[in-house]
Amino acid sequence: MTPNREPDVFGAISNPARRHMLDLLAEADRSVNAMAGHFKMSRPAVSQHLRVLLDAGLVTEQRHGRERRYHFVPERLGPVRDWIAHYERFWDDRLQRLRKLLSKKSKE
Amino acid sequence: MTKTIQREISIPQPREQVWRAITDSATLAEWMFPNDFEPRVGHHFTFRVPGNPKANFDGLVVRCQVLECEPPRLLAFSWSAGRLEGTRVSFRLVPDGEGTRLFFEHSGFDVSQPFGEQAFKGAEYGWAKMLGQLPTVVARLAAGRN
Repeated sequence: MTPNREPDVFGAISNPARRHMLDLLAEADRSVNAMAGHFKMSRPAVSQHLRVLLDAGLVTEQRHGRERRYHFVPERLGPVRDWIAHYERFWDDRLQRLRKLLSKKSKE
Repeated sequence: MTKTIQREISIPQPREQVWRAITDSATLAEWMFPNDFEPRVGHHFTFRVPGNPKANFDGLVVRCQVLECEPPRLLAFSWSAGRLEGTRVSFRLVPDGEGTRLFFEHSGFDVSQPFGEQAFKGAEYGWAKMLGQLPTVVARLAAGRN
């Protein structure tokens, strides 16, 4: 249940500011400056958070003239969704076992 | 924002029998995993998911604490394993004729909406990309026992 070989998507979204950044990028591609306008933190701090998102593959950057724009890649959240699907299967399997066990015991 | 797994299943056996199966440590181990569960609020316990060298899975310890225990109707405990911290698992038992209706819930998956929701509707990912090896282990265990 621990994603150790994947880029750290979970770590990347564990921070509220970074989640907010993804929300903003989900609306539209934005530059660092456009992003910084939404936060009280310094521009370098915003860049640092973006770096974490880039490393996790959750955003990509593209050059537009002089500025870089950041683009959200929602597919990269797949591991998060898989993680829950994984638990769904896990519990379906366990509850099935519980039913079987009870029917076996009541026949004994 | 968090996500919850919910299941509702019908069990032909009466509530007291189901209650025993979910609160007796040895019986619990038969359908879950080896554990040191005790049916009292505040008790800390673990489930020890066995490893499987063939599947390159080291095993896993799930840390839990009993949050609610009201025989024979409600059992809830916290569930922390790996990155999954402080989620909550609950079993609610309601009489249903001769049998029992079991309402299961595992809540507290922080998927950081709304982009999480978007991702949920996104492209399908294969099980090969799964983060842990547990599904394989679970499947093997199930195949071995049934």
